[in-house]
Amino acid sequence: MAALYDRYGAQVRLTLRSILGPDDDIPDLLQEVFIRALDRIGRLREVDRLGSWLTTMAVFVGRAQIRVRSRRRWLRVLSPERTRSRQLEQPPSDARRAVREIYAVLDGMPIDQRVVFVLRHFHGARLAEAAEACETSLATVKRRLAQAEARFLEAVRRQPGLAQWLEEGTRWTENKA
Amino acid sequence: MDRKQGLENIARRVREVLADDPAASDELRRSRAAVLEKVGRRKMTSRFLRWSPGVPRRRSMLLAISGSFAAGAAALWIWTRPPTFEIGEARPGELGDVVEATDGRVVPVSFSEGSTLVLRDGGRVRVLSLNAAAARVLVEDGVVDATIVHRQARKTRWEFEVGLYRVTVTGTKFRIAFRAGDGSLRVSTEAGRVVVAGGCLEAPATVGAGESLEPSCAPPAGPAANDSAVAPAAPPDATPTVKANQIERWRQLLAGGHLLDGLRAAERASFDQVCRVATEKELLALADAGRFFGPSKRAVAALTALRQRFPGSRDAGTAAFTLGRMAFENDHDYRKAAGWFETYMREEPRGPLMGDAFGRLMEARLHSGDGTGARASAQQYLRRFPGGPYSSEAIGILSK
Repeated sequence: MAALYDRYGAQVRLTLRSILGPDDDIPDLLQEVFIRALDRIGRLREVDRLGSWLTTMAVFVGRAQIRVRSRRRWLRVLSPERTRSRQLEQPPSDARRAVREIYAVLDGMPIDQRVVFVLRHFHGARLAEAAEACETSLATVKRRLAQAEARFLEAVRRQPGLAQWLEEGTRWTENKA
Repeated sequence: MDRKQGLENIARRVREVLADDPAASDELRRSRAAVLEKVGRRKMTSRFLRWSPGVPRRRSMLLAISGSFAAGAAALWIWTRPPTFEIGEARPGELGDVVEATDGRVVPVSFSEGSTLVLRDGGRVRVLSLNAAAARVLVEDGVVDATIVHRQARKTRWEFEVGLYRVTVTGTKFRIAFRAGDGSLRVSTEAGRVVVAGGCLEAPATVGAGESLEPSCAPPAGPAANDSAVAPAAPPDATPTVKANQIERWRQLLAGGHLLDGLRAAERASFDQVCRVATEKELLALADAGRFFGPSKRAVAALTALRQRFPGSRDAGTAAFTLGRMAFENDHDYRKAAGWFETYMREEPRGPLMGDAFGRLMEARLHSGDGTGARASAQQYLRRFPGGPYSSEAIGILSK
């Protein structure tokens, strides 16, 4: 398990972070992915697909977390003090603030479309890899991706700050000061 | 600006931010420790690295994975030194994994500081923890011949958890023969001495060179031939109060990973009695069952028993942390929670939960109205864990 974690821990964490954005539960979710992997390793048929198999598992756990967060948002409306979450991030720079806004846009997207979108664009997965991670067909992934891109661009253009970055990406630089 | 270029602009920047994450290495390290701890706590047979000819597919998978992950194994090799252990000729062992001698095979386990375990007759063990000063081994079944080397420079402490018993090694050469099926144990010492405690023994029993001990949970009908040499003098009313079959039932269920059923079986067998005979890991499993399925008072009882019976152990520290979490999250008793987190920090200053304990202590103090204490914790936290997951919270407290 230690070797497995050392080999794939960073990759799984990045997958979770790509899907979820800033989330203070990521360390717990990372553990959950590997514990699930331990429970299901006997079902793995091809060892050389271990990396993509773990990505599939991270996608599954990430999806569940999105649903949990959705429920939490409702609870927060009802009882803000009890459900207050910690902030994982450092005090935000411009870029980090923009990323938060982008993930806020993604929060308004259907989960299936969101997952395909972030795997393709933020995680750099090929379409076939995204299809495998989502356990669905290539055609379905293409359809979801097109829907997600249209929805994302429409939402981003409604936000002046993000629209500017959309069209002038080079201005969006990390403020290291 | 076309649509594709616009998306790529945003995607590239998001990827940069995701990749430039100062919390990544800390999170990965903490999660690694937590994953390994959880794996080690599991009583179920390892599904990942089980060494058994009866499951050739898994073994071939193991070999393939071992080959594929040479780099990872090398990292592990470095991380676990010193000391390390090898299974058979040259296969590096990993903490928590099952090592098993099946089909009449004899399997040696060699430790880098010179100690050896030889598994035979279905011997099955896991090395739970190992460092320069101490080692803990779980004997799940079969025969284990142990030769323990104590370094001249420092006294090492070896402990074997065997069913309901705990064998502490102060000597050098001995055999443990354990049958998981009926829970029977026989400890024979060839050189030096060992101390056997727990289970149906009313008091720890020392087994010296040339002696053997075979404790029994059966009601004493007269002097037991095997035990007479070493067993402690039992008072007439020393009949074990937990029946052997009941012990086996909850033990087997917990060992099989059936936490809820194990908890219910323990309740039927008398939960208080079970807490008096369970091993550290069994108590942690019972506590998990109580936390997950309720009632939470079972978790509190199991964790409290663990701290009373195994003071100073790492699991006792973990129990303190868990009690703090329960006080915080379930009871909202923030003063009590703060006390438990302080206990953990005092007992396990280098423990894997230290960062969490610090952060939670800060929150517990804040919620209990101890603003001064919360500020002090926030300052300490930022000094020790700059950029850690509670950093924003700490900065917020200090800015008020």
